[in-house]
Amino acid sequence: MSIRRETPGGVTALEKALAERGLPFKVETRAGLAVLIAGEATVARMGDAELRRAALALAREHGFTHVAIELRSEPDVAPRANAPLPRD
Amino acid sequence: MAPTAADKEHALALWLRDRGRVAIGFSGGVDSAYLAVFARRTLGAENVLAIIGRSASYPAEQWATARRVARSFDVGVVELDTDELNDPRYAANPSNRCYFCKSELWSKLVPHAHSLGYATVVDGTNADDLGDYRPGAQAAREHSVRSPLAELGFTKDEIRQGSRAIGIPTWSQPSSPCLSSRIPYGTSVTPLRLGQVEQAERGLRALGIANDLRVRYHDDLARVELSPGELAEWLAPERFAALCDAVRNAGFARVALDLRGFRSGSLNVLHGVTAA
Repeated sequence: MSIRRETPGGVTALEKALAERGLPFKVETRAGLAVLIAGEATVARMGDAELRRAALALAREHGFTHVAIELRSEPDVAPRANAPLPRD
Repeated sequence: MAPTAADKEHALALWLRDRGRVAIGFSGGVDSAYLAVFARRTLGAENVLAIIGRSASYPAEQWATARRVARSFDVGVVELDTDELNDPRYAANPSNRCYFCKSELWSKLVPHAHSLGYATVVDGTNADDLGDYRPGAQAAREHSVRSPLAELGFTKDEIRQGSRAIGIPTWSQPSSPCLSSRIPYGTSVTPLRLGQVEQAERGLRALGIANDLRVRYHDDLARVELSPGELAEWLAPERFAALCDAVRNAGFARVALDLRGFRSGSLNVLHGVTAA
């Protein structure tokens, strides 16, 4: 089965639409399935039925019939403006 | 006026008495369990035979249920091995895969039933099934297998209620189609993949998931479908770790939870065989 990261008007547009809704997911696709990828905190937020409905609606608008959220225990990666530089 | 469930049961009893003896393709699912027990009560033990077709795509848990129900209700059972995975047309997993599976099943089951003096062979297809995409139904027709529950208009809900009324424990059991239904069309069906799906679902059941559940195979990724009402619980970090462990133990590298939840025939929709 093909795995795509870039589909003009598909993946990129869906990622953008999700981000505008406050859902910072990466999207991977397998046929009509969109797999949403984020850290643990974002996954946990999807316990909210309203957010799930929003994600489903956006995915449908972008041509996906199925949406699944990958369950990962890693923390979300958030850019930090004042993060200290790593030291040896 | 539309017939009531009681009217349909009366018609089913008449239908069965007209045949005298019946052999039932018996999976231990809700429908075939109801039909087997109803037939046993209507025709007597000596005139009813439940035949189980066993293969790699038949979940062991359901096999155990089938045997338990038959024993509890004094329904005679015969078990036959079927080998649809050995048919390359089936193993290639086309959208009409079920046709090849049922062809294998009925080509063994029907002659066996006839050899034991059962001229009529029936299955548990119900009226709700008729609206789904079910290529296996063609194989049943080709082997003259009858579907009295469908023919007499029994809905799934009526079968559940009828089962409950006569104490069949499967009345509340989730539907459980064969394990191959978890593998997308075009992805070959192998014993290894079926085993992964079965082990993952067994692991999730062990966590207490009792309602509808499917583990859909997407290569390294397992997509888990749960009842929509259970999604929020399993998205909590303290819960999803256990869910992931259960699925990864079955050999999947990645685990994803379907945001819409359980959908019967989900992979038919994914591959455009039926509408979303």
